[in-house]
Amino acid sequence: MSKHHLGEFEEIVMLTVAILADEAYGVAIIDEMESRLNRKVSIGALQTVLRRLEKKGYLSSQFGEATNMRGGKRKRYFSLTTYGKNVLTEVKEQRLSLWEAIPNFSLNK
Amino acid sequence: MPPKHKTTPPKLACRLLLWFLKEELAEEVLGDLDEKFYHTAAQRSVLQAKVNYWYQVLQYLRPFAMKKHRSNSKLFIMVQHNFKLSYRTFIRYKSSFLINLAGLSSGLACTLLIFLWIADELAMDKFHEKDEQLYQVYLNHEENGSIRTAPPTPGILAEALANEVPEVVTAVEDTDMDWFGNNFALSAGKEKIKARGKFSGKDYLNLFSFKLRSGDPEQVLDDKSSIVITESLALKLFGSLDVIGKSVDWHLLHFKGQAKVSGILYDLSGNSSEQFDFILPFTIFKDDLDSDGMHWGNFNSYTYAELANGADVKQLNKKLANFIKQKDEGSNVTVFMTKFSDIYLHGNYEAGVQTGGRIIYVTLFSIIGIFILLIACINFMNLTTARASRRLKEIGVKKTLGARRGGLFSQFMGEAIIMSVTALIIALVLVYMVIPQFNELTGKSISLQLTWKLVGITSGITLITGILAGSYPAIYLSGFRPINILKGKLNASFGEVWIRKGLVVFQFALSIIMIVSVLVVYQQINFAQTKNLGYDRTNVLKVPIEGKAVENIPVFLNELKQVPGVIEASCTSHSIVSSGSFTTGVSWPGKDPDQIIRFEQARVYHGFLETLGIQLAMGRSFSDHVDSEKSKIIFNETAIEAMGLENPIGTTVIMWGEEKEIIGVVKDFHYSSLHSMVEPMLFHFDTEFLQNVFIKIDSKQIGETISAIESFYNKFNSGYTLEYEFLDQNYQAQYIAEQRISTLSRFFAGVAIIISCLGLFGLAAFTAERRQKEIGVRKVLGASSFRIIALLSNDFTKMVLASIVIALPVSYMLAENWLSNFAYHIQLKWWLFGLAAVSSLIIAWLTVGIQTIKAALTNPVECLKDE
Repeated sequence: MSKHHLGEFEEIVMLTVAILADEAYGVAIIDEMESRLNRKVSIGALQTVLRRLEKKGYLSSQFGEATNMRGGKRKRYFSLTTYGKNVLTEVKEQRLSLWEAIPNFSLNK
Repeated sequence: MPPKHKTTPPKLACRLLLWFLKEELAEEVLGDLDEKFYHTAAQRSVLQAKVNYWYQVLQYLRPFAMKKHRSNSKLFIMVQHNFKLSYRTFIRYKSSFLINLAGLSSGLACTLLIFLWIADELAMDKFHEKDEQLYQVYLNHEENGSIRTAPPTPGILAEALANEVPEVVTAVEDTDMDWFGNNFALSAGKEKIKARGKFSGKDYLNLFSFKLRSGDPEQVLDDKSSIVITESLALKLFGSLDVIGKSVDWHLLHFKGQAKVSGILYDLSGNSSEQFDFILPFTIFKDDLDSDGMHWGNFNSYTYAELANGADVKQLNKKLANFIKQKDEGSNVTVFMTKFSDIYLHGNYEAGVQTGGRIIYVTLFSIIGIFILLIACINFMNLTTARASRRLKEIGVKKTLGARRGGLFSQFMGEAIIMSVTALIIALVLVYMVIPQFNELTGKSISLQLTWKLVGITSGITLITGILAGSYPAIYLSGFRPINILKGKLNASFGEVWIRKGLVVFQFALSIIMIVSVLVVYQQINFAQTKNLGYDRTNVLKVPIEGKAVENIPVFLNELKQVPGVIEASCTSHSIVSSGSFTTGVSWPGKDPDQIIRFEQARVYHGFLETLGIQLAMGRSFSDHVDSEKSKIIFNETAIEAMGLENPIGTTVIMWGEEKEIIGVVKDFHYSSLHSMVEPMLFHFDTEFLQNVFIKIDSKQIGETISAIESFYNKFNSGYTLEYEFLDQNYQAQYIAEQRISTLSRFFAGVAIIISCLGLFGLAAFTAERRQKEIGVRKVLGASSFRIIALLSNDFTKMVLASIVIALPVSYMLAENWLSNFAYHIQLKWWLFGLAAVSSLIIAWLTVGIQTIKAALTNPVECLKDE
């Protein structure tokens, strides 16, 4: 087993952050997950994971500009760190190697 | 999109969020929430947005997002520090911690159980809605200058009371269930079911709050052909609960009838002293007895009355005293009423005066409970204080570093309270676990319900124990000057040692009292069960007469005697193990017309004396000449003495208007329990009203004989099944209360002794540790191990001896007092007390021994090497 253990939800959050590139902040991540995966997540649940990933060093974050829409409060933008990107790639490769190892697997069957 | 400022996020939710949320998260999170809120408000509705906002806020209640309440206040840090120290001391002195905890928690658990039992006993019969107004009529019978009090009344009393006494709102009569026992046979088809029932007057269910599942309490007993049954009987009879209007056949001796179910009762709760399966209307009983049985001189029913609100019972009792005498000139009874719910605990009367009843047991157990609690608490205090003096150095160092007295106070107090609360929690778990066994033992259905009373009392007791135990180190030790402590100049003071010793003496004295009590109770019960009662009750079966046998007793008995293994068989109307019916209607030559003697009266068939092995003092037993024997009678010795007959055999007496010749006198035997004296008794020959068959069987083949009797019975009485009881078991059932008390007290005494020993053990360990150096020096100087064991045991021996001196006189008085409840009881022997004393001494030595031997055998180098 790899030393980088990534939970299913953690993986999805990291992928979404990667998709949104520079626009990854709380509500945007939730909306993105809702539209792409049809998965409803509370802000609280998301924040738990974001903080954990940040603590592990997979994500970094900084404050953005204040906007009117948010009652004058700043957004916190998240982005993948290099380490995070490596982990994500590693996970993907592990999955792929597993898929390939299945004998006679055909999606058409 | 610019936000509409009319709609803002809910303020309360906002405030809640800010209260618990980490500050560094606040801005970003609030921003996210606001954005989501305005978005939803614009896209959907404001309400939805608000609901969603709340939902999101509540979702934020997660550990990661919460403020860490690690404040830097001194109080907080000190509390944390104290907790840590308590924990470390517990871990360091595991054994004394565990001993302490085990002692207190088992003590608390016992006390809790006793408390539950007492609460249950006190609540008995109190559930009736009319409890305050519900009274039962008792009668005082004046006989030979003495007064006998009993509840049976004439069956016509209730109606007269209701009609003639304005204070009585309603009055109702019923019959004693024990008269019929389990002998009613009910059927709703072929199968006959044995059940326990009674005949009750119309208003019975108005007066008593036994709840009906279906049927109207005002009317269910109005019709003569109705019957009210309980849910479980309905299920047994019909297999369903929808049975109103269905018919039931009932049968009891010569009584039989058909009834329609008019009401179904919920099963009776264990809180009721009245336990029955069905009720038939009293009119059936009344009409059957007719004018022969329903008059002022025949006491065949119980009478209950609902008194008007505010009626003065004392006044009423004065007024009612001569109620029956006014109706019936020759009557010797006076009437009084007593509160129904009091009877369960205060049901005993002597010479017309209430003398207690089960309340004795309630008091007894209250005392036991208090004893155990005291022992456990003393233990706890002793061990806690002893342990605290180990920590003098800690106190010294803390004080040097600037700790105030208040801080130390709260530390030690807190520690003691934590311990006692932990013990309480363990005790609750223990109680919860043993409650099923406890219920089985006591025949109750108690459950651990956390009522306010219970919570209040237990937490009160725990806190007080904790505070008392904690106060010694908290107040006394915290007051020392640090310099003295650290120099090691302080030793346990004289007063402290005396208090601790005094407590141990007290604790052991309580244990010894309990040992003596248990021995006495056990012996008395043993005595009652093995005493020669004057008849042989072993291997005697008791079978109710029913079915075909009722009409054909001679045939039935003859065939029964043919069954292999049956030695003798006969019938009687008397139950023998408890007192049955009695009569005063006997006169004899030379009788003083004013003299009234009450004879226990038994109708018997021939062979009866032989079946039970009752011995004749003179004369002969009944023969099988049915016709001639009906005019014969047999008395017991007490009866002959009471009548003052010189040559009884051949004398003619008049009983119930018929002449009867005395043919025999039997030696006295105990027909009832040993609670009561042997009273005058007579046997007369009869072939009717014989309720019980007694069968003496061969002791070598009990099993085969019973199955042979069963198959004979099924043939003879098809449709009925043989229901037999062994007479000796039946006899023992009378002592069920004592037996329960005996087992319970043995159990609790055991716990008390164990707790005391735990205390002694802990204390011995502590002393041995404190005197380690002394022991080391003594050994170096040449003391033998034996000398050291003697030295260490000496103190404890003295303490136990002191407690023996205190406990023996007290226990003697208690035992005498309890035994005086029995008409026939054991004599208190000195060895009983000797046994208690010696055993407590031995127990104490064994407990202390392990510790002292360990201390005496340690190599002196071990304890002298440092310092």
